[in-house]
Amino acid sequence: MPIIKINNRNVHIQELNKGAAETVLLIHGMFSNLSVYYFNIAPILAENFHVVMYDLKSHGMSERTQNGYDLKSMTDDLCALMEALNLDNIHLAGYSFGGLIALKMASRFPEKINKLAVIEAPDPKDEKARGIIDDYSRAFLEHYVENFTDTTKVKMGKRQMDRNHRMYEYLFYQTSIKADMIAEKDFLNDASISVLDKPTLLLYGVDSNCLETGQWLNQKIKRSELISVPGDHNIPIQEPITLGIMMDTFFKN
Amino acid sequence: MDTIVSTTKMNSDEIFDLMKQFITEVIGEEFVEEMDITPESSFTKDLEMDSIEIVSFSEKIKAHFGNEIDFTGWLSSMDLDQLINLNLGMIINYIHECQ
Repeated sequence: MPIIKINNRNVHIQELNKGAAETVLLIHGMFSNLSVYYFNIAPILAENFHVVMYDLKSHGMSERTQNGYDLKSMTDDLCALMEALNLDNIHLAGYSFGGLIALKMASRFPEKINKLAVIEAPDPKDEKARGIIDDYSRAFLEHYVENFTDTTKVKMGKRQMDRNHRMYEYLFYQTSIKADMIAEKDFLNDASISVLDKPTLLLYGVDSNCLETGQWLNQKIKRSELISVPGDHNIPIQEPITLGIMMDTFFKN
Repeated sequence: MDTIVSTTKMNSDEIFDLMKQFITEVIGEEFVEEMDITPESSFTKDLEMDSIEIVSFSEKIKAHFGNEIDFTGWLSSMDLDQLINLNLGMIINYIHECQ
């Protein structure tokens, strides 16, 4: 597996079509991993672009880390990754929390970003997600998987439940993730969002709880376009080909 | 380290053994010992592999067969239902046909 050292930690990356002139870098969401792009979205983009995917710290096959889940640390990591891969500027896409990382990256380092695709970025002020961390237990995970992941059709068996439980326990109880999330609660009201001038594609599910955030971002960001696709917050799983084609068209034109 | 190994054409039994070896490397021997892996074993239901484990498995196939087999391309042509129902026999047939 391609593992590289970024800021003294092992980071799992995947690259497709390395020879292409332009690069699209894809950021997954919290509690997920790069596989959300690997099977459908990345291969579509790789027809025209060099595609880079990576697992965020403590996610997928990247090394566990106790600290640095705030957007500044996450974008520092991304800069170091770009440097390690000799990438000066890229098209950037992020899903869910990865969408917030993408927005932060474009506001901190506009010279490194050409176009921006934001998929289902939530408003970090929403306390529901943080409430999950407070209420977390194995029973909660079983209930959650049983009742709220039905739209992705994937059912978890015991080994997977154990694996996921271990990841959540680590992230919720042994890392700074919760405090780092609380510290970011006003991120979308940051003045840097309204002065973003990168062409920005906002992709949201028509039935998503986050759609309002997409509409709000569309008003705030000058050169943005909001497209609603069938589905909810899980649109990269529900409509991967639609998303891949839309992103490919947006980055190409 | 994964390396590209030049292979002579493998028969279905040899491919099956190689796939079992890859699965063991990905999910660990302690879990595989408890399983009866057959060509009918499905990746998500029987082997309980999640998507990041299937990424690892795909990378092992790529590293072993190189450009001979576009395994990720083959997977990307499937929808979610097909991926969920994917079993070992389908992969063995695909690799056998590509050689």
